[in-house]
Amino acid sequence: MEIEKGKTAKYLKEKRPVPKEVTEQLKSFTKTKKAMLEALKEEHKTVPELAIELNMPKDEVVYQLMSLMKYGLIEPDGIDDMDEYFYYKIKENGKN
Amino acid sequence: MKETKKILEYDALVVGGGIAGGESALNLANLGYKVLLVEKDLTIGGKMIMLSKVFPTLDCAACITTPKVSEIARHQNITIFTGAEVKRINKLGEHRFEVDVLQKPRYVNVADCTGCQMCEEVCPVSVSDEYQYGMVGRKAAYIPFSIASPRAAAIDIENCTLCGACERACPTKCIDFTQTEEEFLVKAKSVVVATGFNLFDPLKIPRYGYGSQKNIITSMQMERQLAPTRPFNTILRPGDGKMPDNIAYVLCTGSRDKSVGNPICSQVCCMYSIKQAQLLMGALPMADITIYYLHIRAFGKGFNEFYAQAQDMGVEFIKGKVGKITEKENGNLILRYEDIEAGVVKEAEHDMVVLSVGILPNQGISDVFENEKLELDPFNFVQQSDMLASPAKTSIEGVFVAGTASGPMDIPDSILSGGAASAETTSYLRRETV
Repeated sequence: MEIEKGKTAKYLKEKRPVPKEVTEQLKSFTKTKKAMLEALKEEHKTVPELAIELNMPKDEVVYQLMSLMKYGLIEPDGIDDMDEYFYYKIKENGKN
Repeated sequence: MKETKKILEYDALVVGGGIAGGESALNLANLGYKVLLVEKDLTIGGKMIMLSKVFPTLDCAACITTPKVSEIARHQNITIFTGAEVKRINKLGEHRFEVDVLQKPRYVNVADCTGCQMCEEVCPVSVSDEYQYGMVGRKAAYIPFSIASPRAAAIDIENCTLCGACERACPTKCIDFTQTEEEFLVKAKSVVVATGFNLFDPLKIPRYGYGSQKNIITSMQMERQLAPTRPFNTILRPGDGKMPDNIAYVLCTGSRDKSVGNPICSQVCCMYSIKQAQLLMGALPMADITIYYLHIRAFGKGFNEFYAQAQDMGVEFIKGKVGKITEKENGNLILRYEDIEAGVVKEAEHDMVVLSVGILPNQGISDVFENEKLELDPFNFVQQSDMLASPAKTSIEGVFVAGTASGPMDIPDSILSGGAASAETTSYLRRETV
């Protein structure tokens, strides 16, 4: 069988089905990403503000927010008056 | 039909592509020997390439490592296998080793990958990034980190949904999901063991609360936060994203502690903690840094001056053994400790705690030797059979040890040890031709 370059994922998919937990994990991340970007749509927010709005533990917000920052979707936007928490906003020209 | 292994021949096999293994490989290659460097990770450079700066000079770790890594990668006498494992080493006679090497699939043709990261951009998956010690996510199609060598993508097949988006985005069509494991039979005349060390897992000390209390991190996690390729925009508490202003270091976490099975000193924790404290005072000028220690071991060249410099900068040193760490509702942490000089138990509040974790042996390598035994010392590091006269010599003639595979040591000593291993390997190889 001749392998079609650039379209090889299908060959492995035939041999090795994707485990359910992997697809569940993807769904969970996609849901969190959407919720987080939605929460930041109108105005910048800090981690504690996002945690309240998304009803999510603060450490989980930090992890997901920093991941989205790494993926180029979010950027810091100044710090609060107490110099404690950064505000984060959707990155201009960020790919979404 | 049984598939035959590819046969490769080298003068030296170096197991481990960290700074010690890299130094050994480079020295041997410069003398004209053909070297195979086998690294289990996706990149060479070991733990040093992940560090922020080095003590006591505060030179940028990446600035020292990357030119060396680049020289190793481009040397015509060095072949590098990353993502590969040595499965078996058999000594057939002097200067005759037979080695089974398993090359795991990367699902990317490294030679064709330009490191453009377009696969990473389109990959929909996000999983914990082991190169950032779990503080942030990474994609399933990813480049380990920006200064990785080779700077080429890899597919984390365990977490890949096989959606094919990476393949469609790749401009050079270098992603190949049909790759499979490859087995090699390597015939080598000598072996250098440079398998490095493991870090102590602080989950083994539940009273410190690592894992459950999110503002307690390890020294390696702080190292990443201080590095230019850091996971966050600045130094932050992972528990709530607050900028810390009162940070505590707990030295000897998992070192000099018989209760966790590691009674020896890790040699580097005092100095890397002092280094991090100085770097934190630069990054967070208003922060208070306190180091809880048993003894400060500042034994190397310039180390004591470095320690004094930290004291002059305002780092507080408390001779105290921390017994327990508990979390307050606001995420701050209460350290209950024995003030050794005052002889009383005290409590102190900090808003972030760094556990200065110790160095443990990476034991697996002794199991791959089939017909001769690679002796380990009482602490399970590779035994140096003649430590004073021939520090790289092991229990097997023709097998030499480099770097922290033989015990805890700092970076300059690891490089020296790599040099010693290459010198002794050369001497052994020359004996074949005499």
